[in-house]
Amino acid sequence: MSRPTLWSTADMDDDLADAVDAELSMYAQQGQNPAIYDQLGAQIEQLEPLLAIQQHMAALAAVPDVVKSFIVSFHQAILNRDLPSVTIFYTTTFPKLTDRFYSRAEWPEPEIIAPLLSSNNATEDQVHIFLVLYRDLYYRHVYSRLQPNIDDRFHSYENSCELFNYLLNSPSSANDESDEPAPVDLVLPEQWLWDIIDEFIYQFQVFCSWRSKVKSKTDDELMMLADGTGVWSSYSVLNVLYSLIQKSKINEYIVALKEEQGKENSRPAEEVAQSISPYTALPLYRTLGYFSVLGLLRVHVLLGDFTLGLKVMDQVGEFLLGGSSFGAKTNKSSFTALPTLPATHISTHYYVGFCYMMLRRYPDAIRTFVTVLNFFQRMQRMRNYSGYERKDQYDQIAKTADRTLALYAMCHSLVLPGSPFTRLDDNITNTAKERYGDQMGRMSRGGSDALVAFEELFLYACPKFINANSPPYDDPEAIALLLNADPADVAEGSSPIPTDPTHRHLRLFLASAGAQSPLPTLRSFLHLYTSLTTEKLSSFLDLVKVNESDKEAVEDAEAEEEAIQEMMVLKQSSKSLSRIVPVQGKVDKGNDASSAGVRAQGSLLAGEMISTSDLNFAIDDVRSIKSE
Amino acid sequence: MAASWITPPTRTELIENLVSGVDRYNPSNVGILEDYLYHQIRSQEYDCLANLAILKLYQFNPDLYNPDVVINILIKALGASPLPDFNLCISLLDERPPNASLDEPDPLPVLLPVLHGLHHLLYRCRFPAFWRAYRSDQLESLRDNYTVECAGFEDSIREVVIRAVKSTFTRIGTDRLGLYLDSDSPEELKSYIDKLGWTLNSEGTVVNIPANLDNQIEAVVVQESIKLPQLTKVIAQAARS
Repeated sequence: MSRPTLWSTADMDDDLADAVDAELSMYAQQGQNPAIYDQLGAQIEQLEPLLAIQQHMAALAAVPDVVKSFIVSFHQAILNRDLPSVTIFYTTTFPKLTDRFYSRAEWPEPEIIAPLLSSNNATEDQVHIFLVLYRDLYYRHVYSRLQPNIDDRFHSYENSCELFNYLLNSPSSANDESDEPAPVDLVLPEQWLWDIIDEFIYQFQVFCSWRSKVKSKTDDELMMLADGTGVWSSYSVLNVLYSLIQKSKINEYIVALKEEQGKENSRPAEEVAQSISPYTALPLYRTLGYFSVLGLLRVHVLLGDFTLGLKVMDQVGEFLLGGSSFGAKTNKSSFTALPTLPATHISTHYYVGFCYMMLRRYPDAIRTFVTVLNFFQRMQRMRNYSGYERKDQYDQIAKTADRTLALYAMCHSLVLPGSPFTRLDDNITNTAKERYGDQMGRMSRGGSDALVAFEELFLYACPKFINANSPPYDDPEAIALLLNADPADVAEGSSPIPTDPTHRHLRLFLASAGAQSPLPTLRSFLHLYTSLTTEKLSSFLDLVKVNESDKEAVEDAEAEEEAIQEMMVLKQSSKSLSRIVPVQGKVDKGNDASSAGVRAQGSLLAGEMISTSDLNFAIDDVRSIKSE
Repeated sequence: MAASWITPPTRTELIENLVSGVDRYNPSNVGILEDYLYHQIRSQEYDCLANLAILKLYQFNPDLYNPDVVINILIKALGASPLPDFNLCISLLDERPPNASLDEPDPLPVLLPVLHGLHHLLYRCRFPAFWRAYRSDQLESLRDNYTVECAGFEDSIREVVIRAVKSTFTRIGTDRLGLYLDSDSPEELKSYIDKLGWTLNSEGTVVNIPANLDNQIEAVVVQESIKLPQLTKVIAQAARS
């Protein structure tokens, strides 16, 4: 009787199976008699939950005392609605303990620490909510320091849903007999609220990119994905954000504040908030609503919908990005009682600027980037004076600022140097040249080198675009098709348009940038003359062309046509939609009747065409071009 | 100018509510938006944001996908050059898993590079090349199946040309203009010029383009008037140190 290998039971046939049974019973007999083996089996089953509890208690004992007391006090602070203590615990103590004990491991699981919480005179509901919040921190740690596996991803989604469900749909207290959900009585620091929304979207984005890699999935994962099609779906993420916005009525609040500002005895912000809805009155919901608008902007950009991203920011954008006198006089946050965190500031400007860039509205993009880069530079200087406790947070902000700088460098090269209304900030330009000098040089010279430089910077600085839909995991045939797709076949049959979203957007951007690459040369020639014939101009440009190609003599008419068409492109590129529009001042009898200045349009998508070039030219088709 | 792009005057209230509200995500509303697209096609109107809403619904619900609708949207967007409408539409066209839910083979992968090429020619103002490509045999299927249904497609392309020509030229030769507008005969060209309100010179060889903001040459003089109160802070600071 040969010993069957235990790990190939798949091809075991009956003889061998019998043999194994015989073996096992032999071992059992060696102990006592076969019956005891069965008994032991039954006992083990009964003991399993007890074993689990024992394991938990062992794990709990392994948790350092410092951590245990932290958790208990943290819970107590949340119960007491003690915002300052919660803030300190969240921003300082938690990261310190993470670095000290859990820099490479997970925090203790929620089930393990649950027994600690019963000492705090909390109701079961309150303990439950604390565990939900704790899980939020737990999963955030897993995503940032460790690699989440598929279980982590699914569970973190469920946890987020539970948290948002609690915030949005809690039944009202026993006193109120209506069925309407009521606002919950929780106070959390603004930083935490921002992190909740930010992390939610981040986990969504990471999940989408992980999900689209079909080939690297194990069979188990394939099965789980086939069942769990609702997990991290685009609709549910959007639903959460839209619900928070609607519940907190943040847009109505801002509109009401704007109206209030014009009045004589304006009511304070809190009173305005109260008058809109009970949810708006609570800072928790106001803050969450406001952050959800910013989150929605980010999700739309990730899905490639730039106009919708700018559209959702209609009310908030005017307040945040300025250009109007709304909230300008007083300290913005105290006036509107809306939080201004550095992280939100930088993140929002990055996404808004990126939208403008993809809309080819380079002056608007540059203005947005300059605002935030100045802000970041001030922050950097201040950092040396007052230490920022959250180093990882600062790093993240610094990274976003770096990417913003790269986007600024690209826009700088795409806006033909020009009119005073797009005058570029020297300070920021110098910073950009220090960091990206090589690429900027290549980009401004034009030609194919420029496109390579644009591609490098774009891939570095762009957001991590995602596909809205998952590969068809629930359709086994389709998945099999994808898995077995031979790369050679794919390359043959596929269209030249890349399907990966990042490359799709890159290609669109390069097409726009590429159309402008001959323009710097053209412009420099036009600058030299007040009046120039097309023949002369085309011969200048020919010079460049003959060097590049091997043609002996380019047809004169063709070359001239080419030159004229390029000039139309130059004219076209010198105009841009801009939200801030210069206004001509009028001089009346030596006094300024109305001052020159700028006028800002309302929403972010609005704007008028302005000229961005200081070079004005027109073609007079009797064989001459006049320029100035 | 942007105001009419964001909210075209031809958009009805129903569509306005759909586009600006949360209902745009409801898959059952795709029919309304598609009907609106066909209305735009028949009556020479154009509403970019509503068409983008259709593409977004297709992005989230791949089973709603209708390649004819997508091609029509892209064709309409060609007429908006140099605005980035075409690019915005492409940004929303996600990868789709190969599915067998369509009755006929999907025409989009074949036509998409073609439309890309046409758009690129328009953006780079290569108008004669555009007309050559458009009239070529290769694009026969595009012309027969799609652009023939789109009322005024060629006119909308001509409007793109006029926009570019108007801002760059003060006078343009009739042959050149005819080449750009792809007009078959001098009479057609003349009637087109008359419709625009432009005038010809005495020999009928050069068209005068009316003066507008873009083709007038003036040096831009920037005068900044800084008032004293604005400088008080700076001066006070300097005086202190």
